[in-house]
Amino acid sequence: MEVGINMGIMESIKIAEQETTKESFLHSLDGRIKLISLILIIIYAVYTTDILILVIAELYLLALIFISNISFSFALKRILLLLPFGGFIAIFQPFIRPGDVIYVFPILGLDITYQGLMFGILLMSRLVVSLTAIVLLSSVTSLTDIIGSMRKLGMPREFAMMLSLMIRYLFMFYDELEKIRNAQKSRNFDIWNKKTAYQWRLKQIAYTIAMMFLRSYERGETIYYSMLSRGYSDHSNIYNQNQKLRSGDFIFIGFTISFILTLELISYTPLI
Amino acid sequence: MHIGDGLLSWTWPIYYIITIIALYFALKWARENLDEKHIPLLAVMAAGIFAIQAMNIPIPWGTSGHMMGAALVAIVFGSPWAAVIVLSMVLLVQSFFGDGGITALGANIFNMGIIAGFTGYGLFEALKKPIGRFPAIFVAAWASIFVAALAVAIELAIAGTFPLDLGLFYMGLYHAVIGLAEGAITVVAILAIQNVRPDLLPWGKGGS
Repeated sequence: MEVGINMGIMESIKIAEQETTKESFLHSLDGRIKLISLILIIIYAVYTTDILILVIAELYLLALIFISNISFSFALKRILLLLPFGGFIAIFQPFIRPGDVIYVFPILGLDITYQGLMFGILLMSRLVVSLTAIVLLSSVTSLTDIIGSMRKLGMPREFAMMLSLMIRYLFMFYDELEKIRNAQKSRNFDIWNKKTAYQWRLKQIAYTIAMMFLRSYERGETIYYSMLSRGYSDHSNIYNQNQKLRSGDFIFIGFTISFILTLELISYTPLI
Repeated sequence: MHIGDGLLSWTWPIYYIITIIALYFALKWARENLDEKHIPLLAVMAAGIFAIQAMNIPIPWGTSGHMMGAALVAIVFGSPWAAVIVLSMVLLVQSFFGDGGITALGANIFNMGIIAGFTGYGLFEALKKPIGRFPAIFVAAWASIFVAALAVAIELAIAGTFPLDLGLFYMGLYHAVIGLAEGAITVVAILAIQNVRPDLLPWGKGGS
């Protein structure tokens, strides 16, 4: 458990999935290409220690968001909403990292160190670049496409099948949860209401979760029987559209790799 | 408890290797011990756990948190590998929406799937005789959160992004409180399942 904005994650998946139905150059690319390219950018962002490089990468990603017709304000909002997850640790760096003290808070006696500040900025920049890449990926590639691409890239059969089934029922269960919560609301139940005993509220939440667990279990059984009656066996495989890579795909991945190599070269150039 | 990208510095591939090995054994377990019925079942459970995790729950101190569910899945399915599989799916999908990083996914599955699942299941099995089934569930679910949180603190310390003493203290203290809610909810949820579908529980097989 953790402090969360997770009620937002379902909403953001919903909107992101709507964004994937738009049309643009990035939308038309093969899922595998987008998955590999953006993961490469994330891995590079985590590896590099140069803030300037991260700024260039971020500008490149923002440009990609811009040309792919997805809502800029929605993308920025998602990045901002997701930042607290890791940003918290980045913000603490100036106070906890030993180094040359550049500022002392008069009252609290907290030292800000230069090394800590720089490291905090580095962590924050890495986080922003990674989140921008992931927001872009999920706005131009549907979940089904991501799972299908991972299967094509060698994910084990059972795992890919479970994932593709899982995402089919994701929204259904979210709606089920909303239904339970609406029913509770109509009876004036509010989990944030401090006038009722905490223990009692916790018990209601537990019942909701038990209900969700049972509903998903029973739904799983029903789905199994309906799959069985349509010929499912333990040798079944998920259907995968065999899509050939087109020239646009090669251009994009070629460009991404040369972009990353260029960034790496820039970081060795003493000019900057 | 989801670690973001970049916070693990260079250490992130280590957790990917551990997680991939664990997933290999988890899938092997699934092939050997589950009939083909359980593939749709685990998949739909993952969707259910995803929705459960999306529900914000009030925690004393005026903050909020959400269920993790690793202990719940491990205890109901009677195996920690079930928790590893279900939590891996949940965390993988979450990572594509920025909840936990892509490079940190290995570590997140390691903490919330493997460590939490095995802690939860192991403690439940060890304690169910001496202290009774439901107290054991409470302790197991609490510990699954607490131990996973300590693991996060240790991993951040190894990566050099957060000092060990501060990390252990704050992560431990915060999740020791949050774990109480996870423990209580897991107990009541399993009690409710026992009342409605006792046949689903490992100790209720053939009992309904």
